[in-house]
Amino acid sequence: MSEILALSNVSVHFPVKGGLPFFRRGVIQAVSDVSLTVNQGETFGIVGESGCGKTTLANAMIGMVKPTAGQVFFKGVDLNGLATDEFKKMRRQMQMIFQDPYSSLNPRFNVYQIVSEPMFIRGEDSEEEMKARVVELLQLVGLSADDLYRHPSDFSGGQRQRLGIARAISLNPSFLVCDEPVSALDVSIHAQILNLLVELQEQLNLTYVFISHNLADVKKMCDRMAVMYLGKIMESGGSDKIFKKPLHPYTQALLAAVLDTSFDERREQIVLQGDIPSPINPPAGCRFWQRCPQAMQGCKTVPPDLVEVEEDHFVACHLVNGFPDVPLPEGFEDPVPKQDSQV
Amino acid sequence: MKQVLKLRNLKVVFPTSYGLIRAVESVDLDIGDRECVALVGESGCGKTVTSQAVMRLLETPPAVIRVDSIEFDGQEIKDCSSKEMQEIRGKDMAMIFQDAMTSLNPVMTVGNQIDEMYMRHQGDSKKEAREKTVRALELIGLPEPRARANSFPHQLSGGMRQRVLLAMAFACMPKLIIADEPTTALDVTIQAQVLKTLRGMQQGCGTSLLLVTHDLSVVASIADTVYVMYSGKIVEKAPVKELFTAPYHPYTVGLMAAVPRLDDEKRKFTQIPGTVPHPARKPSGCYFHPRCEYAREICRKEMPPLQSLGGTRKVRCHYPLTAGGESHE
Repeated sequence: MSEILALSNVSVHFPVKGGLPFFRRGVIQAVSDVSLTVNQGETFGIVGESGCGKTTLANAMIGMVKPTAGQVFFKGVDLNGLATDEFKKMRRQMQMIFQDPYSSLNPRFNVYQIVSEPMFIRGEDSEEEMKARVVELLQLVGLSADDLYRHPSDFSGGQRQRLGIARAISLNPSFLVCDEPVSALDVSIHAQILNLLVELQEQLNLTYVFISHNLADVKKMCDRMAVMYLGKIMESGGSDKIFKKPLHPYTQALLAAVLDTSFDERREQIVLQGDIPSPINPPAGCRFWQRCPQAMQGCKTVPPDLVEVEEDHFVACHLVNGFPDVPLPEGFEDPVPKQDSQV
Repeated sequence: MKQVLKLRNLKVVFPTSYGLIRAVESVDLDIGDRECVALVGESGCGKTVTSQAVMRLLETPPAVIRVDSIEFDGQEIKDCSSKEMQEIRGKDMAMIFQDAMTSLNPVMTVGNQIDEMYMRHQGDSKKEAREKTVRALELIGLPEPRARANSFPHQLSGGMRQRVLLAMAFACMPKLIIADEPTTALDVTIQAQVLKTLRGMQQGCGTSLLLVTHDLSVVASIADTVYVMYSGKIVEKAPVKELFTAPYHPYTVGLMAAVPRLDDEKRKFTQIPGTVPHPARKPSGCYFHPRCEYAREICRKEMPPLQSLGGTRKVRCHYPLTAGGESHE
């Protein structure tokens, strides 16, 4: 399978505003040193808690934020090396579906204006062509031509998200980033929108990057996935492999935290202590050690590398890979006492 | 069992320029002592309005409330003045809101906000109140409670803020706590923490809990009894275990199927067709019939009554399903 998108060692840092002059300002390391590839025609899932850098990574993928370091290759072309007008042409092939369908649609535009805006900006179509295309798009996402002159306020959350999808596919993109497309919607509407996404993928031959914090959705949607924590990838690879045999303690905890509606078998609950630490001063070693139930002394100082443990299955954890060949503190394999690891 | 809340025939109507919006239609609700009752439904089904009507937090006007009886802890509170309600709210009946960021005062430290509860309802001095606040924060599992009491809401993470709201709700050991989507804004790992704390506190303090949510997986993990609401009416009531093993109403079945599960191997997501009817344009007959695969002629004409079906279970359907998913004749 050919790859459509490749990130190599991408980091995105944001300076923290304020502070006194001559003092070093803080830097938020939203994404640090992430490498991954997305293949043509697949759905690639990115999972993690809020604040772990999922959305920043997605923005970096389509060039909405410039990486501080590293390169983004789309169809083999480095996005940051492009001149502005070439980048704009490239950007037509990559679109985004946003999380909140209430704030991502202009309330003063009607449906026609919302969906045709990408075509209007491209400026290659006549009014009639755009209208015909909008009607076609509306039917594709399950709305009708009667809705053409209604405003977003006339629609329910699920219908608004359909509008957002119609707008995203209006320029026939090949690559779509879905940033938590259903988390603002009701549970009963989730299925409708996700089914629509799956159908569109088959019809239009799309590649998705699917960002979510719901692991059950990811399991159904995605072929390959990455688990992120505090700006770093903890585990990545084929989603069937990760769900069958999660190796990283964080992935295991995430899986255990998914609540179930079945009463037959109660799965073992691993309730993680504490919150996700601030990305301004991330822990020096493994970023997860403070919350990790199996942390060792060495995890505090030695950052783990992302190592391939089997085909298409990468894990960054000393428990799985063992410690690398670097000077290690004494007693590095001793467990970290419980109260020490509480944040 | 002793009843903490007995709500009879609650109706809430909003007159608007589009016509009458009947948000809640004849809802009966019973909450027993130390019981956790869940009110489940999609957005716009009237679950939040019901809980706010019980707390008397609805603005009237625009809302018009008609109710036969609200019996709280053996006392009729239907005709209480707003001053009397102020005495009850916070002390005997407390609320946990969905979004901790907007329901906490951003310019007051969280400690001061909890202190207010003790000073107002128990007549404590500032110093006594702070001691109690620190103890309450400790009980809820906030690390370094004394230092945390001096922080402002924006200095805390989402999970910590939700814990502060829990501490505030449990401050005066109320008889009933209404939690309106307490974990919807949180991440999965934090959701598990907060639900565990909430359940532990509820059992430890002997409080009754009314949990308002749209997430059936949350219901399955902490509720005792479940009311399913659709378009302003209760469509099913059952003990939690029976509801999940054998749902009677087609809507409940649809809601449960819509929750994606990790052990499911199918690629397709199960969906309920259509959307919730607009509250001003509800269909005739059973409100669910346009989305129901079992709908027949009578469903289009007549609203089914809420009938009892064995034990404490109730269902509002002409053809309730049996355990196998087959329709009763």
